Order: sequence, then C-alpha cells, then structure tokens
Amino acid sequence: MSDITTLNGGSCIAFKGKNCVAIACDLRLGNQALTVACNRDKVFKITDKTYLGMTGLASDVDTLRSAFRYRLNMYRMKEEREIEPETFAHLVSSTLYEKRFGPYFIEPIIAGLNSNNEPFIAAADLIGCLNFAKDFVVTGTASDKLFGMAEGLWEPDLGPEELFESISQALLGALERDALSGWGAIVRVITPDKVIERTLQSRQD
Amino acid sequence: MTSVAPQKSKSGFDFSNYSRNHFLDGKGLGGFTATSTGTTIVGLIYKDGIVLGADTRATEGPIVADKNCEKIHYISDNIRCCGAGTAADTEFVTALISSNMQLHALHTGRKPRVVTAMTMLKQRLFQYQGHIGAALVLGGYDATGPQLFTVAPHGSTDKLPYVTMGSGSLAAMAVFESGWHKDMEQKEAVDLVVAAISSGIFNDLGSGSNVDVCIIKKDSTEMLRNYVMPNERAKKEQKYGFAKGTTRFTKEHIYSMIQKEDVFEVGSTAPTPAPLPAAAAGAGGEETMDTS
Amino acid sequence: MEALDMNRLKKGEVDLGTSIMAVAYDKGVIIGADSRTTMGSYIANRVTDKLTHLSDRIYCCRSGSAADTQALADIVTYYLSLYSVNMDQQPDVKTAANLFQDLVYQNKDRLSAGIIVAGWDKKNGGKVFNIPLGGGIFEQPWAIGGSGSTYIYGYCDATWKEGWGKEQTLEFVKNALSLAMRRDGSSGGTIRMADITEDGIERHFIPGDQLPELAGKIV
Repeated sequence: MSDITTLNGGSCIAFKGKNCVAIACDLRLGNQALTVACNRDKVFKITDKTYLGMTGLASDVDTLRSAFRYRLNMYRMKEEREIEPETFAHLVSSTLYEKRFGPYFIEPIIAGLNSNNEPFIAAADLIGCLNFAKDFVVTGTASDKLFGMAEGLWEPDLGPEELFESISQALLGALERDALSGWGAIVRVITPDKVIERTLQSRQD
Repeated sequence: MTSVAPQKSKSGFDFSNYSRNHFLDGKGLGGFTATSTGTTIVGLIYKDGIVLGADTRATEGPIVADKNCEKIHYISDNIRCCGAGTAADTEFVTALISSNMQLHALHTGRKPRVVTAMTMLKQRLFQYQGHIGAALVLGGYDATGPQLFTVAPHGSTDKLPYVTMGSGSLAAMAVFESGWHKDMEQKEAVDLVVAAISSGIFNDLGSGSNVDVCIIKKDSTEMLRNYVMPNERAKKEQKYGFAKGTTRFTKEHIYSMIQKEDVFEVGSTAPTPAPLPAAAAGAGGEETMDTS
Repeated sequence: MEALDMNRLKKGEVDLGTSIMAVAYDKGVIIGADSRTTMGSYIANRVTDKLTHLSDRIYCCRSGSAADTQALADIVTYYLSLYSVNMDQQPDVKTAANLFQDLVYQNKDRLSAGIIVAGWDKKNGGKVFNIPLGGGIFEQPWAIGGSGSTYIYGYCDATWKEGWGKEQTLEFVKNALSLAMRRDGSSGGTIRMADITEDGIERHFIPGDQLPELAGKIV
C-alpha cells in the first residue's frame, strides 16, 4: 500500500463489443487511505471515437495527458487527419518506453473504433508493453478483481446496451472489494454514431 | 514551467524522471512491476532449417496479464527472434534491431544475416549492462545456412544446435536433451519443439496457454500462431446476461456524431424540414465532445 | 574504505566458471579449456568454445563473465584486424595481450574478466600472456586460469618441464584440465584444445566420456 502506483487509487476497464466498445473508470482520488476527491474522471477523449484511460500516480496522469495532447495535436497537423486507435496505442507505448529507466507510474488502457468502425482495445504496462486483447483490458488498484469480474461477465458480440450493463456490473463488482477505488463511476459506450456517457452510483466508503 | 515537448536524448532513452523516482524510492514509495514474460522459448536446427517455439503467457507478478501474447518477433523475412524477460524490452529491442537490419540490408544490398542481428543485439544489450532485460533465442536461414543463437540480457551469446531460454528453459531443455538428434525431419522437429514448449507450459508457472511455432527454411518462413491450444477455456453453458436497466445511472449524456444538414436546392422554394426522429432529439451535431 | 569486489558477477549473469590454460613449447603454443558455461547452478552451455579467435595465429582463453569477455574479445579482434590492414603484417602476440591489458585495467571496476592470450608470431615464436582480474599482464611459459585452476597449481608446478615437444605438451594440458574439471563444480563437460604454430591452427576435441585415466584416479 506504500507503493507509488497505488498512492492515489483508482481503476479502469474496457470491454470490446459488437461494433462498439465500452470504457469505464471509478471517480476516486485518494492520498493513501484518505479520500481527497470523488470527481476524478480517469478516461480522456483522444478523438471522437478513441478514449484513453489512465490509472496510477495522479500527477503523472496529468503530465501524460498534456504530453499526449501535444503529440496528438502534432499528429493532426502533420497528417491532417484523426489518429487511429491502434496508431495511438503505439504512440502511448513509445512515449512510455522512452522513459524506460525512469518511468511514469501509470498504466493506460485504450478503447476506440477505427475508421472502419471496428472495435479496438489495448492496455500497456508502465513502460509501454502493449497488450492487444480481443475481449477486455483492466488497470488500476482493483485490476486483479476486475480481471476476475471480466472473465466471468464478458461475452462476445455484446451490443451497446448489453455491453453497458456488463461493463458496469463488472466494475461495480470489483469496486465493492477495493478500498482504494470507488466513489462513483463513469461508463462510456462508443458506437459508430454516438458516445453514451453514463454516471453510475457506487459505494461511498 | 516544464515543457511537454519531447526532449532530445542521445540514447533514445529519457532519464528525466530518474531522480524523482530515486527520491520516491528513498521515501519507501518506489518499486514497480513491469509485465514480464515468464516464458518458455526454444529453438532447434533440423535437416532443412530452424524451428522456433514459444508459449503465449505474459505475467505481472502473480497475475496473468495476457493469455495469448506473441513472443516470436519479426527481425527480417528470414530471421525471427523469441523473447523472454521484461516484455517491453524484448518488444522494443527486437523492433529496433529489425529496423536497423532493414536499413543494413538496404545499405549493403544483400540478404540480412543472422550473425549481423546477433551482433547488433549483443552490443546493445552489453551497452546497457543487463538493464535491458531481454533474453532471446535468435534463429534464421541465411547465405551461410541455418543459424541459431541465444542472447542473454548482459550481452553474452551462445551458438548451439538446440537452445532454450526463459523460466521454463530447464523443463524444455530436459525434453531437448532426450529427444534431439542430428538431421531431424520437419514433422519430428516441430513435434519436439511442441513437446518442449508444452513441458514449459505445464511444469513452469511462468509459462502457459498456447504454443506458437515458427519454421524457417531456405526459401520460406512459416509462422504458425497458436499451433497447439491445449488450454482453451471450456465453453460457458450459460451466459451472465443483464436485462436492460439493471445498472442504475444518475446521469446520461449522449454525444452524437451524426452531422445533420438541411439542403436547399438553389432557385427552388425551400422544402419543409422533415420532423426529427425522437432518438436524435437534443443531440445536435454542433455539440462539442469536450470531456475534459 | 570498502574493498572493491572485482570478482562479483551482475545478478543473473552468465558465468564462465572455467578451467583454462596455455603452454608454450618449441614450435608454438597449446591452449586448452573445459566447455562449461553456467547461470547459477544451471549449465547454460555444455559444449562452449572458450578458445576464441583473435587473429590468424593469436587466440585467447576466456574466464569470468561471458558477456564481458566476449565483448572484450570482439573489441580486440577489431583492433587486430585493423592493425593487420594498416601495417600489412600480422600482429605480435604481445600486441594483442597489451590491448587486452589496457581494456581490462581501464575498466577494472566494471569488468570481471580473466584472460589468457596465447599465439605464435614470427618475431617471438609461441608466447603466453596471462591477464588476470585487475588488469595486470604477465608473460609466462605456461599459464592457468579460471575457478578450476586453483586445484591444479601443484600438479602443473610439479609436472611441467622446459623443452617439451607438441605431444608431451598436449598430454600435459589434457591431464591438467581433466584434473581441474574433476574437482571444480563449475568446470566440466569436454576438453577443447588448439595447437597454434607457424603452420596453422590444429584443433583437438576430447569428449566428456573420453577424459584421461589420470583424472579417474580421484576417488
């Protein structure tokens, strides 16, 4: 618990569905056992159809968020198009590996639809080792619990509404047993024509 | 103010966080676990070339981080490299050498050789004194015939007719030591590699899931991804389906990505706009998607 | 002040826990080594070739860290080939030995490498140079090195005589190495030898099941 990656707490999860993806996170920001805030969204919009979730050391999450914004703006200007989620995953990976011997203490997950509206999810460790899962990815202080929940609840080819229910229940289930995550959650379901963003109620302890 | 612009560094690595992390270490807040590939990786020489093999488990401490990752990395069309150790390091060091090998091949106008890749790998790993935690099995077929090497994290290399690496290397070597012989047939060789990897999968906790195989011959390279899958999860007989509305939410916001346009034909009278469908109401295309 | 531990290996490093030797004789020099490479208690390679080519008539026997000694041998090989092109002649054995000495001495806090350089050159004939851990350089009529060498100093001192021919010297190297391999846990496998003379390099290989009787006397 005195580990820097668990100092602030927080968890993220992403599910792949049929022509859609979902990404969800809790809202807690803590300082060890002390809860400091309960409105800390850990998922950030990258493009209309690509979202990035980051858990770990909150200050590094902020630093990296602006680093990615810079790199994305450069990409947009050079390429005159939006970045594909897979390309963005590699951008995240190389940004993290650059700091191989002095890493940022965050573990990111990426969820999005590419230009053909095919679903894409990926996770990386803190030095940028990518994991292209075909089902789900998890990260954060509740990651071990989320692994268990997701292994049980994830099903192939879920539609947007079913995916919302599954990912929400997986996250809420894990939050029940993680002291460092909770205080509400936000779920985003990304479909080809809209993004559904819902705020969930969860344990407040 | 610190700039977010990428900093230039000679080595390709950026050590700017090092002192901060060292300070945190001193406060007892340091330490992290990177994904490692506990791993069984093997390679052998047979009659017509090389067979490489790998399991597909990646771990983060005691957690299985990836059940089906790829550990046989591309170096060039005729050279592949199996990686064990710190997953990110094996991934990036092979990608770097693959890129340098392509440049080298373009520069010399010759088909790349395995010793060239081996030398590049050992020199980079030696330069970093074992801090790049990559243990590799490098195999390929070049102008000098079939070639097989191991490269240890500190930069030492070995040249042998059959090799194993990773935490499952002992289990796999036991199989090789009893089963390998000179000039094996392809089927025999592939079967032996599968047996060696399986021995790692079942007897070493750091290795698991499936067997990847790669056959490299004089004029062909065959990557057999998930050649054997002895650990498929049993099919779930029923589903955990949640009825719509199971999860209570307090707020909902829908960002529509449909751009609505009213088209007027020039010179004719404006048509009466069709009534909007109920679902799209209140979700105008002009709405921004800032979630910051 | 804390004593510098030059013998240490970095964690998980591949070790050549070795028995190596080189003996000069009238026509040239015989070098020999066991074939065991270990990572902790695991034998990573049981048929290692620790006799490493440096130039046409110069070899080295490597002991210590596999990574360090391979890197050093690669650097020296590069310098020697550059030398032979620039000077249009083959380098002397002492040139190779001095290159090693310089590298080992300048980097003594970073390296664990004990090397024996041996070979033949026109000017001096067969020569043996011992370059132990700290980066010293010692020209000797015969040299032994590696963890196994400690067991055979007495045997070598008592047995070696000046003026031997090729066959006698080969026999001496073979016997000495087999004795070292018997007693040293981190040496073993097979014996590899090479005879370096003006005429060229002649390699000898003794499989693990055909080691000399002499070693079998140990109970």
